[in-house]
Amino acid sequence: MKRKKSRPFWKWIAVACISLFCVAPLLWGLKVSIAPQYDTSIIPRRLTGEHYRYIFSRPEFFQYLRNSVVVSLSTVAFALPLSLLGGYALARFNFPGKQFSFLFLVFPLLPLIAVLVPLVSFLNRLGLYNKLSALVVVNAVFNLPLTVWMLRNFIMEVPVEIEEAALVDGCSRIEALWKITMPLAIPGLVAATVFIFITTWNNYLYASALITKPSLRVLPQGILAFIGTWGTYWGGLTAAGIITLIPPLVLFLLFQRWFIAGLFGQMLK
Amino acid sequence: MWPLRRSQESLSEEKRYASLYRWSYESRLAYLFLMPSVLLMLLFLIFPLLSGIVMSLQESTFAGEVSFVGLKNFRLLLREARFLNNLKLSITYVLGNLSLSIPLAYIAALIITSQDLRGLPLFRGVFLLPFITAPVVSSVIFLSLTDASSGPVTLLIERITGERPVILATPSLAMGTIIFHSFWRSFPFVMLFLAAGMTTIPNELYEAARVDGATAWHLFRFITFPLTRIHLALSMLIITMWTLQDAETVFALTRGGPGYSTEVLAVRLFKDSFINFNLNLGATVGVILLSISLLFMIAYLRLMQER
Repeated sequence: MKRKKSRPFWKWIAVACISLFCVAPLLWGLKVSIAPQYDTSIIPRRLTGEHYRYIFSRPEFFQYLRNSVVVSLSTVAFALPLSLLGGYALARFNFPGKQFSFLFLVFPLLPLIAVLVPLVSFLNRLGLYNKLSALVVVNAVFNLPLTVWMLRNFIMEVPVEIEEAALVDGCSRIEALWKITMPLAIPGLVAATVFIFITTWNNYLYASALITKPSLRVLPQGILAFIGTWGTYWGGLTAAGIITLIPPLVLFLLFQRWFIAGLFGQMLK
Repeated sequence: MWPLRRSQESLSEEKRYASLYRWSYESRLAYLFLMPSVLLMLLFLIFPLLSGIVMSLQESTFAGEVSFVGLKNFRLLLREARFLNNLKLSITYVLGNLSLSIPLAYIAALIITSQDLRGLPLFRGVFLLPFITAPVVSSVIFLSLTDASSGPVTLLIERITGERPVILATPSLAMGTIIFHSFWRSFPFVMLFLAAGMTTIPNELYEAARVDGATAWHLFRFITFPLTRIHLALSMLIITMWTLQDAETVFALTRGGPGYSTEVLAVRLFKDSFINFNLNLGATVGVILLSISLLFMIAYLRLMQER
């Protein structure tokens, strides 16, 4: 073989550069939030928690935090069972019309912002303007196509034989789903949960289209409102940003493997 | 006695009935399971999609009177210099992000999928951090990086050009910041997406080719590239859609300013509908946005099928 031995050393340098590129802005944000003064030094001379204390002294911040938690958790609670049922049906059953299931993959690719305008005027007419419940429904529905598909792929990897054995032993289909398939599809359920939670938690657009009442704002809206009132108080703004980043970060770090499998491994099938 | 007398024919008939019964029971259960999702999608995705098209053909007064005006909204927009600029900026935004993230992500994916890198999974988490950061949060961080008095990027540009720019108040630099910010957000995702595609190629293919004396370029040209063509087209499609409908980061970074110089279509839609409450004009921009994305989709489908 005339091929030279490749040099992993250079590749590791490239990997280090890519990693640095990915984390550098976040580290900068962290640095600004714990440095007493905003300056260009990379390592602050003194650390301080004053910006975080300032954030936590604002009552409206707790309102935003509470709204974000309520909306994100409710969206998961609403969308996850529906995704499981839909994903199970697509993975296990044959039925007329199944050939249209590819539409579940087309929707996430459409610019849903175009759907948002008529949707908001529709929700207005239903009296759901300035209601957190409307935000839950919109977030859930916009996530559904992808999570149904994600769970379909996870369930297809659970061997069908175990379920068939349970059916032969007199289990009903629903019992089989509940007792056999669901426990085995837990990685998929976790991946979908993390996905729905993070996209809902991070979303600004749907909230700003549906919520105008200050007391009902979610965190991303709150941060944008802080920019409006605080101007260039970067310490406080980045502190609010870092706090907002923590829940997605923790979930992601805990369930990284399953989340990545759900996002990439499964998406390519 | 009858089980013995049963003919071959009736047995198969019985089987068919059984399977027919199971089939219809199964499909009823499938519809039942899918119904909530499909109903919600009909009500909150497909119905609004269609009513958006209707809204774009209507005009409404503040009193709430709605009248049908045909293509008036479209004519109005397409004759407006501001809208043509919105259109141009959207295309710039998409092409800018694509031309930065796709080639670099492809090269990075080739590097991170190479065989001699062990322990790489440890890095995957780091790579996905931009993806899980809220757009508004990363926008705040980029705002602080480009702070007019002492942001590090501002000072860097001053060091190079000798002039201290107000980055987000300079049209070209503002657009550049927006594109770079999106590039930062989408590059790692595309890289991992392409890498996932590359790892599905069986190793034997490469080994066989090497035995036949293929060079590294040949391996790329005749194995890796053709077999990841679909992933390439898909990732381009995903990035295009993200960028085309991105109102959040542009709005958080510049609010479309200075003037209208970074007001992409999505921001225009956002301002028209949710700040100025001209929902019909917003819906019209939405229909135009949808048509543009369909054009992109068709283009990428062509790209995928081309030999």
